Amino acid sequence: MSQAPERTNLGHYALVVVLALLATGPVYIMLMTSFKNQVDMFSRVPLWIFAPTLDNYSVVLFDKKFDRYLFNSLFVAIISTLITLALAGSAAYAIARKDFWGRGLVSYGNLMIRMVPPAVIAVPVFALWSRWGFSGRFEELWGLTLFYTALNLPFAIWLLFSFVKQIPEDLEEAAIVDGATPFQVFRLVIFPLMKSGYAVAAIFTFRIAWNEFLLALFLTGRKARTLPVAIQGFLTDEGVEWGRIMAMGTLIVIPSLVITFFAARQIITGLTTGAVKG
Amino acid sequence: MKSLRAALSEGLIAYAFLAPALLILVIGLVYPLFTTVQMSFLDYQMGTPWESREWVGIRWFEKLWSDPNVWKSFWVTLRYGFWVVLIEMIVGTGLALALERAIRGASFFRTALIMPLMVSPIVVGLIWRYLFDARTGMINHYLGAWFGIDPVPWLADPHIALTSLIITDVWQWTPFIFIIVLAGLQAIPKEVIEASTIDGANWWQMTFLVKLPMIKSVLIVALLMRIVDVYKVVEVVFILTEGGPGLETELLALHVYKTAFLSQNLGYASAISMLLLAIVTVLSLFVLSFSNPMKTKSDF
Amino acid sequence: MNHFTKSAGQAAAAALGALALLATSAVADPYQKYRGTEIVVSWPSLAHFQIAEELIPEFTAQTGIRVETDPLQYGKLRDKQLLEMGKPQGDYDVVAWVVFWKTEYVQKGLLTPLSEMFANPALVDPAYDIADITPAYLENGGKVGGPQGYLAGPSAGLYGIPFSAQTTMMAYRKDLLEKHDLAVPTTYEELLAASRLVHEKEGIGGLTGRAQSGHQANDFFLTHYGPTGGVILDDNYRPVLNNPDAVRTVEMLTEFVKVGPPGMTAYGYGDMVNSFVQGDAAFYLDASKIRKTVEDESKSRVAGMVGYALHPTINGNCGSGTGGFAMGIPGNSQNKEAAFLFIQWMTNKATDRKLAEMGGDPIRTSTMNDPELQATFEDYPVLVEQLKCARADWRPLIPEFPEIDAQIIGISVSEAITGQKSAQQALDEANAKIEALLTEKGYYAWQ
Repeated sequence: MSQAPERTNLGHYALVVVLALLATGPVYIMLMTSFKNQVDMFSRVPLWIFAPTLDNYSVVLFDKKFDRYLFNSLFVAIISTLITLALAGSAAYAIARKDFWGRGLVSYGNLMIRMVPPAVIAVPVFALWSRWGFSGRFEELWGLTLFYTALNLPFAIWLLFSFVKQIPEDLEEAAIVDGATPFQVFRLVIFPLMKSGYAVAAIFTFRIAWNEFLLALFLTGRKARTLPVAIQGFLTDEGVEWGRIMAMGTLIVIPSLVITFFAARQIITGLTTGAVKG
Repeated sequence: MKSLRAALSEGLIAYAFLAPALLILVIGLVYPLFTTVQMSFLDYQMGTPWESREWVGIRWFEKLWSDPNVWKSFWVTLRYGFWVVLIEMIVGTGLALALERAIRGASFFRTALIMPLMVSPIVVGLIWRYLFDARTGMINHYLGAWFGIDPVPWLADPHIALTSLIITDVWQWTPFIFIIVLAGLQAIPKEVIEASTIDGANWWQMTFLVKLPMIKSVLIVALLMRIVDVYKVVEVVFILTEGGPGLETELLALHVYKTAFLSQNLGYASAISMLLLAIVTVLSLFVLSFSNPMKTKSDF
Repeated sequence: MNHFTKSAGQAAAAALGALALLATSAVADPYQKYRGTEIVVSWPSLAHFQIAEELIPEFTAQTGIRVETDPLQYGKLRDKQLLEMGKPQGDYDVVAWVVFWKTEYVQKGLLTPLSEMFANPALVDPAYDIADITPAYLENGGKVGGPQGYLAGPSAGLYGIPFSAQTTMMAYRKDLLEKHDLAVPTTYEELLAASRLVHEKEGIGGLTGRAQSGHQANDFFLTHYGPTGGVILDDNYRPVLNNPDAVRTVEMLTEFVKVGPPGMTAYGYGDMVNSFVQGDAAFYLDASKIRKTVEDESKSRVAGMVGYALHPTINGNCGSGTGGFAMGIPGNSQNKEAAFLFIQWMTNKATDRKLAEMGGDPIRTSTMNDPELQATFEDYPVLVEQLKCARADWRPLIPEFPEIDAQIIGISVSEAITGQKSAQQALDEANAKIEALLTEKGYYAWQ
């Protein structure tokens, strides 16, 4: 490849740097603003150097039931991720490997159902919510977990499907010859080989459930409120509290940033699987 | 050739593997969708018992047909989707072609690029609302300080507001296209590139006659995923403009929300969401007709 | 119907029980029965409510009733309240509503009539002087079912007590008026002229406003349409929005937007307040509760530079409206009596005065006329004067109002002031849509 006629030149690198700045700039500005006091925030000229303060964080962390929102967000994100992974893996395996009546329908249906915008199911779910009688903190959190799992399953199945397809079929056949039951085949042969696939699926499932706003806004009461819903409470009627919004925004984004730094490769795999390898 | 019995048992096993996922999908997605269809024929308001619902036949669909606000919102949605997907596809693919070689090894760059993808949409909306602020926003400040441009009312001017929304989405999702296309380009066997180099292909020929055709299926999947996701957007517009000025940025998803919760008309909101669903389905089927990424060779 | 007989029965039973209690033991502590009860209050995240929050420990110390509040942005309050009040057993014991939600709540049978509580001597503090609450506020926020449906009258009932009720008044930058030798505007013509001058000479906005598409734009319109004496619906609920006064108002607002702070057509309430207190606009003309924010130096750059004046007039009509919030008790609350005690405590004379001292919005005539407060707060004399001509009926508080507000007029006005449609065309369209909506809802069944 290196002997190809084009040369990477300085212009390319400059472009790369500019793009990196564009991509990270807004996030950096959020981070910076979250450390500004009211006076610096009002400054007519945007200040890039200033005396940082933790005031915004202390308000967000101690005054605003942050612990409750954090727990709720973690609860729905982690539990729905676990359930999604548990269910998606075996479903993906069945679609990729088994021959059964309706397989085409299931695989096609899975793709179609992934298209459903959350706004479309928000309205009926809102009506079902009171009919099914979800009330109280944990009932609401479980209800939310149910819908997040359902919203995430199609993508997770799709993703894991392409991982299953990369596993050589001989391995299974060998296990079957050795007398393994179908469930043992899945548990002992397929599952260990799909670990990286699960890691990728976990990141994407967690990301959706952690960030989801619309359903949580409609459905949760005061006790089950999650972080993305709580943050828009700072667009108060008494002036927009930018410092606090940015502080809470930063706190919400932290898990995602950590994942970005430590699992960039998995994220890229997740984004490209299905497109490139599928 | 398998025996009937073997085929049956394989089928049963497959269903056992599928059943838990299908159950959740049916309860959490299919049944609500079915309820949407059902509710679009009902008059039902929030805060009233379900028993108080009334069957109204196709009244909401008739209303929808002649409701200028819905159609305005419909066109806004299509325009938004069209520009967002078009710009992201062109810019993302273009950058991938230009930087295919430069970023080799620059893993920090890829980390930087995927950052926007990971930020929660509600936070994206808030950050950009801060940046776009006509009075105190940084964008206007630097446009003024460096280029002497008067404050631009990014979110307040009917001719600019939709563009502002598009900019926000392009910021967040172009890296997605870039990364997919880049992976596709890097998966092209190098013999192909070498062969066409030897044949004396110039950059243009190489790009349009060799590389792009070879990653056609990658481009289609990227396109499909963007088309599917672009119509899910609601948080960003919810924070940035609430649909205004007038209805200039009223995406259908937002219109559904407003009809359900401001107008209290859950039946009509359901009818409008079926319109949104129809757009997404038609567009997705159209793209899927070129290639189905989940097809296995023995599907019917 | 059923609901009322049932609740009347409950009220009677509660009253009897309380009487029995009175008879058997001398009740020195009216709160005895409710110690340890926990109630949940749903209210907006406005300054007044943040101040009230500071008084809650005092309430709990006195009564033993624990309170958890759930403050939300007021635009998002209604969905949550409807969701909770629609369940067999809801989360909220006290809800604070924007005045134009009350009729809907009552019509859907979601609120407890306060007469149930006022009929119970064990609950009512003899010193609670309800006649002292500004009548326009009480009617606007709490009364439902008069001849007009949404106001007072022989058939009306009381469902809520105003809390953080407001009228409108003007705040202006004293320093700028002085610098440019301008008199305080008393009419809209003067206000527009002054706005233009300030915009031209100072490069900042004249009058600020909240003109984001939807509810905000409609409020912006109605605030300035009120002084014309105009209405949205006539006495037969027929919309009359496309009248010349309304068209002129929208055209005038378009002029104000041209010389307003940048981006005004995307402002919500908070953005509007920010623009004024950060010195980007010379005039504020909206809810009468701006002083607290103006004088808060951590948020404001104009502390000490602001004066207050009456809402300017059109053709000599004074025309401020009344609005804000009222508190009541959901029908599905499990702690109605404790909830009532909370509302009563929060709106009694002592608390009202205390709230006012801390910068809240008073509802009582006695508080507003208090000589000490009048001397301390620059806006009180104006407020008292303004309330004399405040109209309770400047917008129709029918159940459909939220839709008319955010989905019809708010959008048409936004289209007009951002130049997409002419004022006449926009209001013609809005008028037709309102008529269609009310026809669908059966408003003209008797005509």
